[in-house]
Amino acid sequence: MTTGWRGHRGLVEDELRWWSSYRSSGPIKVFRIALTPDSGREAAAWNLLDTAERQRCRRFLYPAPRRQFLLCRAALRAVLCVALDCDNGELTFEFSRYGKPIPLVGGDRVPMHCNVSHSGSHGLVALSHRGRVGVDVEERRPRKNLEELVETVFGPQERALLARLEGQSWLDTFLAFWTGKEALAKAWGMGLRTDFSTFQVPPEMLRGERTGLFRCPRITNATWRLEDIGCDELAAAVAYEEDPGPGGEF
Amino acid sequence: MSSTEERIRALVDENLEIEGRPPGRPLDLDSSLRDSGVSSLDFVAFAKLVAQEFGVDVSMEECASINSVGELVEFLDAKAA
Ligand SMILES: CC(C)(COP(=O)(O)OP(=O)(O)OC[C@H]1O[C@@H](n2cnc3c(N)ncnc32)[C@H](O)[C@@H]1OP(=O)(O)O)[C@@H](O)C(=O)NCCC(=O)NCCS
Repeated sequence: MTTGWRGHRGLVEDELRWWSSYRSSGPIKVFRIALTPDSGREAAAWNLLDTAERQRCRRFLYPAPRRQFLLCRAALRAVLCVALDCDNGELTFEFSRYGKPIPLVGGDRVPMHCNVSHSGSHGLVALSHRGRVGVDVEERRPRKNLEELVETVFGPQERALLARLEGQSWLDTFLAFWTGKEALAKAWGMGLRTDFSTFQVPPEMLRGERTGLFRCPRITNATWRLEDIGCDELAAAVAYEEDPGPGGEF
Repeated sequence: MSSTEERIRALVDENLEIEGRPPGRPLDLDSSLRDSGVSSLDFVAFAKLVAQEFGVDVSMEECASINSVGELVEFLDAKAA
């Protein structure tokens, strides 16, 4: 089995494809997923899902989250099939204690980690062939009640920086910090169960750089690279193990 | 309907963005937040607002253990008790 990044396995016709390469960096590759309504894409995506995933689709109460799950999960399957050189039928997922999907081929774990995030019409899928990875995306739009959250989710230096900003720069910085922290928490597999106020984005990022190294022995023994991968439409971050030990935990 | 439930329903209508929810449709308190498509950022912001309105504190860990608006009502009632 190869873990290289190779072409397209023809699971979906090229003109229908709703995912494209977005960022490559070290051991990771991030794909951007278009989540706007499209019946042709949704039908092609449905064909890639297994029975449990189709049941999950049926449980969603509204079309938008159903479409987000459907198009992201199918794109995740397609890029994993290419990266792992396997058939879609061989690919299944198990879930870590708090629900992070872990890919299996023929029922076995593989040397590939993945993570997914969606917000509005934007989705991201991140793959890493060397250690755990987490990704988070948020649409860049104003939201209600964010000010009330600052105390709960940010550390002292993050709060001090936000206190000097207003308007769009405040929102952009809030979303950069939030997506950075959520990408880390998703890389660890903890999601919201991590108290976000007990750690901060790396010092380089507090100084305005787009990437930095996260070390916090109180929370994790590994060293993590955090990258701001946002653009005009979306705030986003990816976190991955810089130097995973043998095996890398899930 | 408990008074907590009534207040939360009003706060949901005003503050919680649920993409695609038909306007005016009463909220099913037991529906899972994930199945309704509520994102973690929107939910934590909403839970914080509600906690402030009710004069209680809510941690991130507590937010992560709440899976529906009904569970949020129970959480607040338990804190007030
Ligand atoms: C799961 C969680 C990390 C996702 O946060 P989010 O910002 O709402 O959603 P995102 O779009 O960024 O990520 C969702 C994806 O993360 C992945 N995921 C799920 N649990 C995860 C975990 N513990 N760690 C990392 N990734 C996880 C899944 O692939 C999911 O997508 P899918 O269901 O379409 O496959 C976060 O909501 C959480 O920790 N929730 C636990 C409690 C809960 O569900 N409360 C109710 C409402 S928030």
